[in-house]
Amino acid sequence: MMMPGKYLTFINRFSKTGQTGLIIVGIVFFMAIFAPLISVHSHKLSSGPPLSSPNGEHILGTDELGVDLWAQICFGSRISLVIGMGTALLAGSCGGLIGVLAAYSGGMTDRILMRIIDIITVLPDLPVMIVLAAFFGPGLINIIIVLSLFSWVATARIVRSQVLQLKEQLYIKSAETYGAGTWYLMKRHFLPEIFPLVAVSMIRLTGKAIVAEAGLSFLGLGDPASGSWGLIIHHATSFTGIYYTNFWKWWLIAPWIALTLMVSSLAFISRDFERFADPRMDRRKNRYQKQ
Amino acid sequence: MLEIKDLTVTYHTNTSLVCAVNNVSFSVKKGESVGIMGESGCGKTTLAMAVMGLIQDADISGKILFNNDNLLAIPEKKLNQYRWKKIAIVFQNSLEVFNPVLTIGEQIIEPMRTHAALSLKKADIRMRYLLELTGLDPEWANGYPHQMSGGMRQRALIAMAISCDPKFLIIDEPTTSLDPESRDSILRLIKELQKRIGFSLIMISHNLSALREMTSTVMTMCCGQIVEQGITADVMRNPMHCYTRGLIDASPDFFKYKDLWGIRGTIPQNTQSNGCAFYSRCCQAGENCKNQRPILQYVSVERKVACHKGGIETLLEVYGIQKTYLLKDRKIPAVKDVDLNIKSGEIVALIGKSGSGKSSLAHILVNLLSPDKGEIFFMGKKVKGFKVTKKIGGMQIVFQDPFSSTSHRMRVLDVVNEPLDIMKWKTAEERNIKSMAAISMAGLPCSDDFLQRYAHTLSGGQRQRLSMARALVTGPRLLIADEVTSMLDPSSSANLLRELKGLQNIHGFSMLYITHDFHLARKVANRAYVMSEGRIVESGPSFEIFERPVHPVTISLMNSSFSKKEQKKRKKG
Repeated sequence: MMMPGKYLTFINRFSKTGQTGLIIVGIVFFMAIFAPLISVHSHKLSSGPPLSSPNGEHILGTDELGVDLWAQICFGSRISLVIGMGTALLAGSCGGLIGVLAAYSGGMTDRILMRIIDIITVLPDLPVMIVLAAFFGPGLINIIIVLSLFSWVATARIVRSQVLQLKEQLYIKSAETYGAGTWYLMKRHFLPEIFPLVAVSMIRLTGKAIVAEAGLSFLGLGDPASGSWGLIIHHATSFTGIYYTNFWKWWLIAPWIALTLMVSSLAFISRDFERFADPRMDRRKNRYQKQ
Repeated sequence: MLEIKDLTVTYHTNTSLVCAVNNVSFSVKKGESVGIMGESGCGKTTLAMAVMGLIQDADISGKILFNNDNLLAIPEKKLNQYRWKKIAIVFQNSLEVFNPVLTIGEQIIEPMRTHAALSLKKADIRMRYLLELTGLDPEWANGYPHQMSGGMRQRALIAMAISCDPKFLIIDEPTTSLDPESRDSILRLIKELQKRIGFSLIMISHNLSALREMTSTVMTMCCGQIVEQGITADVMRNPMHCYTRGLIDASPDFFKYKDLWGIRGTIPQNTQSNGCAFYSRCCQAGENCKNQRPILQYVSVERKVACHKGGIETLLEVYGIQKTYLLKDRKIPAVKDVDLNIKSGEIVALIGKSGSGKSSLAHILVNLLSPDKGEIFFMGKKVKGFKVTKKIGGMQIVFQDPFSSTSHRMRVLDVVNEPLDIMKWKTAEERNIKSMAAISMAGLPCSDDFLQRYAHTLSGGQRQRLSMARALVTGPRLLIADEVTSMLDPSSSANLLRELKGLQNIHGFSMLYITHDFHLARKVANRAYVMSEGRIVESGPSFEIFERPVHPVTISLMNSSFSKKEQKKRKKG
């Protein structure tokens, strides 16, 4: 276990924007975990007059059915997080494994895997995702799988190129001369080198997946029962003539802000993580702190 | 003519016995010149004194046969018939060997009067003749020793020694403290005298080039024992005992450009030990060397060596290595039929332009590349896979690029620990201790702060030292240094190279120093191979390759590395 002091120094290594991002992501996690406690009203049932503007009773107002928006956003964050992290884990770990496999085994395996990656890269992902989402039908797991199908390629490419480059490094070669086996090289050299890369791309994937899910939901292809942020936006925008009224000011903006804050926070964090991934890049920050 | 059998001379000091000459046997034929070399204190002079019968307070055993008369059995009075008339000695040149209150003339006359029983008049005439013969003005007969220069005194000593026409002359350090010009003329004088008088000669010297000029056979003495014996030219070119090689390596007459490094350690005080006299300073000492004295025996024609391992061991033997790279349809031959050998404790330079196949060869040696053809033997055993590099006391390589050869992500201590970790050597704590020793050996600080630093925070020079420490932690017998200094600035490169050579001197490992830099190579190398277009075109001891290169490639390499300087000078001028 890390000591609290270590946590502090770890957080200290982040830049100002990264720290802000951490706080926002922390708040979103808090919202997701304690959603039933922090929202007074139900997120599914009507609890007040429809389309009321933010007031003391409903801090973010209500939608056309009189359902509390704050409660919807709190519960929606659960969906966004699950989809984001699920996709990131699935795509990140599969992509990482495939990348290492391709680079380390080389030859035919490498060529086949690379062609598959090429094909997936050139496919326009949104239309295919729409088709697949429509084909598999709405559902959380399906969404995660569909999103993962398109996200692993980037990770795999990065990891493959990194392992290929590592294989030629003299320190790997000298480790080989000392008699190091594949397992040792994986454990001691390859995994520590690629883990930060995978971690960074996972955080990126999280953001991307949340946006993609929102996009699919916005198009009406998401799980209609899920109540994700994208779905709130979908409902708001499909309300006929919303822009002629004042309703969009709370109904549309609230989920949009939540989504934007979440995704940009993840981007900030991933930028800082990229810096940690390579100790060489950390020097700038250290020097800055010493001054 | 002179035969010495099992001669042992033991001095008594207050506390212990000092065995100055230990079981020495050799013989000198008529007209032969024999050289004895060795560090000071190895018993050379004692041996000479024993032959002259000038040692009193010591135990002498064995036989000194002069024309089959045992000089040790002859009573003192009879011995005087031998001294000066048959065996004479030119003492080591110093003021002390002369009587300060007698003139030179009187001192030269004295042996003639006492040993040859010449009349004063005859002796005086002969004295003047001798002075002239040795190149001194007869006027000096009336001079006192302190009035003469070192070279003049040396001549006077020679005159004294040959005064009674000896059959046998022992010369003890004739050239020490003389300038090169008088040194040459003294040596020429001795040679001329030998031609004229025809005496046999034992020349004792630590000046190896003087020995090379003067003698036909040579012996090396170490701690009172003879460790090597052979024909002078052969021994000097290809010494077969580590001690002889150490003496030659330390001699600037042979290695004009090489950095000066003596034999590591000092002469052991305990001369009573049963083991090899050179044990504590030898780079290939084994277990039996400690407890068992090696016998002087023939290892080849006309060459005797006292060593349990039969002389200097050959560590690495490489035969017929070939490597061709395939670039699409084109074949690029990188290494063509290369033979190579490296002996224990020597630094061999592999010199060649970039692209001559040096690095390919180095990678083949440590099995990072597999050769198309050829065999590699390490300590007599065929090398397969990483067998030699993955063990303690094997072969290690240090690469050219310090940034790629150590992982920037690892901490200093972990980098050096890595080979031990992989070999699963002892416990983690013992590994740390060994690694720390290697780190400080490579000239890096051993503070906790430094050990925990990431490799990427180190400078190029420090990282090169780090990879050196990693190679040295396994205590290799052979270190392959592939252009280790070419990416460093001149000062770091000089420091690194000097320390590497120092470590080599202390630990006695062998090194294959791969470089394109002629200047650096001749600073460190005992031997050199010149490589061009994948072939070894010339090889030999560095005092031959760097001074009298034969192959056109070597000559052009050398010219280009020296003419640059001249061109610059000309521009400045």
